[in-house]
Amino acid sequence: MCSNSSTSDNIYLPFLATVEEVIDETPDVRTLRLVFQDEQVRDGFTFRAGQFAEYSAFGAGESTFCIASSPTRTGYIECCFRAVGRVTEALRRLEPGDTMGVRGPYGNSFPIEQFFGKNLVFVAGGIALPPLRTLIWNCLDLRDKFGDITIVYGARTEADLVYKRELVEWQERGDVRLVKTVDPGGNSPEWDGKVGFVPTILEEAAPSAENTIALVCGPPIMIKFTLPVLEKLGFTDEQVYTTLENRMKCGLGKCGRCNVGNVYVCKDGPVFTAAQVKAMPMEY
Amino acid sequence: MQNFISEQNLNTLLDKLIAAGKRVVAPRLTAGTVLYEPLQKAEQMVHDELPRRSAKETFFPVCEDIMSYEKEGQQVRLTDIDPNSFPETILVGVRPCDAAAVPVLDAVFSWDYRDEFFLKRRDKTTIIGLACTTADDACFCTALGLSPADPKGSDLFLTPVEGGGYTCETFTEKGEQFIASHGSFFSGQSDAKTLPLAQPQTDKFDLKKVKAWLDEHFEDPAWDSIATRCVGCGACAFVCPACHCFDIVDEGTEKKGKRRKSWDACGFWKFTHHASGHNPRDQQPKRYRNRIMHKFKYYDDKFGQTLCTGCGRCIRICPVGIDIAAIVEEISKK
Repeated sequence: MCSNSSTSDNIYLPFLATVEEVIDETPDVRTLRLVFQDEQVRDGFTFRAGQFAEYSAFGAGESTFCIASSPTRTGYIECCFRAVGRVTEALRRLEPGDTMGVRGPYGNSFPIEQFFGKNLVFVAGGIALPPLRTLIWNCLDLRDKFGDITIVYGARTEADLVYKRELVEWQERGDVRLVKTVDPGGNSPEWDGKVGFVPTILEEAAPSAENTIALVCGPPIMIKFTLPVLEKLGFTDEQVYTTLENRMKCGLGKCGRCNVGNVYVCKDGPVFTAAQVKAMPMEY
Repeated sequence: MQNFISEQNLNTLLDKLIAAGKRVVAPRLTAGTVLYEPLQKAEQMVHDELPRRSAKETFFPVCEDIMSYEKEGQQVRLTDIDPNSFPETILVGVRPCDAAAVPVLDAVFSWDYRDEFFLKRRDKTTIIGLACTTADDACFCTALGLSPADPKGSDLFLTPVEGGGYTCETFTEKGEQFIASHGSFFSGQSDAKTLPLAQPQTDKFDLKKVKAWLDEHFEDPAWDSIATRCVGCGACAFVCPACHCFDIVDEGTEKKGKRRKSWDACGFWKFTHHASGHNPRDQQPKRYRNRIMHKFKYYDDKFGQTLCTGCGRCIRICPVGIDIAAIVEEISKK
């Protein structure tokens, strides 16, 4: 159970948070930087990379996303979402200074301590960078604990890449290898990255599997074609981590909808190894 | 030992409790249907009919507020619900299949995070079970290892006797306390013969065999034939004493409103529908499979219990005649 509970016994009662900053990542993807209004919550809120929260726009309801900022960056949290439904449209209407609700953190997390001393390969597609970005910054803020860090990130078009300013930052760092790509036809004449689908570009980049952990997050189709590439590169299923996203309401293992077979994504996940995912029925 | 209560004394006692401001909930005729509803008078209690819906809504209402919000400028004020405000309740005349589901539900609402909306109501409720003297074709509690006289989940259990009145057994401290507080209504007469109890015509399922098949057959052509008829109306979940899936929704405007928890059903296509359009359970047989799996495998995997008590309500209410008892029996023979 989380250590961030308020004085209420009501597990569905959110913390109030102020929207401190609004960043448009793409025409329909937005980052909100949130600061908890209660000082005790602000000081006491801790989480681990990979955990998620229930974010609410009052009057519209709650939506589930990962905490996209790094646990090493304190004083605020960030979420990142595409405005596609009732709640996310309402969240997008929020402006700096507005109040929203946050419940969490929930779920398991990346076992980052087990990655110490290893090389890391992050593979992400489109809107699925945020669940890895929390871990990327977590690792970069503890840079000397890891070996080589490779990030392979792609989107349909240049416009669909999220965290564009951070891609520049990662590209300019000497201690990260960033391989960015867009799908064929998604590039402008000025594009300085690769052109091709993520699995193909990953195969081309060919990171060594030796003493390496791969962290994959993307649309199901990308995952489907990425896992065989990793296998070809020599990664075992235990070396590959991903996160699952199923529709959730409570986030607490009660409301009954996020299960994949008998696995509850909200409690047993959202972080799983490829070996765990392969053992699950196709219900995600 | 105080182990008998006459019909008249039971009525007088319930009337006394009602007069004292206690919430007394029992099967009663409500707009043409027998439901578990608060009584105004003890004589409203229906003794010999299974209510249309289960008793779970005493602890887990169809819809309930979990907080309210009000916006002032850019600030929002939340008003919490105090679970201590839930009324003390006597739930009486509860069918064994309904009472048995309550400890089953305790598991999900109390593991890890405690849902006090359910648990506080549970704490503040005394459950008085009542043995069944009639059963119909849909009843199958005996197949689940329960019986028309099973006291599971009851604090106090009544069995009707010949010549009127009930023998009364206590199973919890709460039940003992109830008798101790109202001792004058009970007497020691205990030699009366109990009325013949209901005899559901079902043999006990081999639940181990059922689970063993489910463990291995998430993918199986049988699911299509089992559930192809299901129209996804969700009625089975709503009448079920053990189904507990719920939704959380805001009702109101951006300025002012309530957040509510309300019953949901895994049979609804929208239940697992992602905002992206993707739906992991995109066809009705997949949703019906989840219903069977949750009841006879997943809940067992997680809590060591079966999420079904054999009340038969889903069989009676299904508009297309899906019979869960027949399905489980068939699985047990595979």
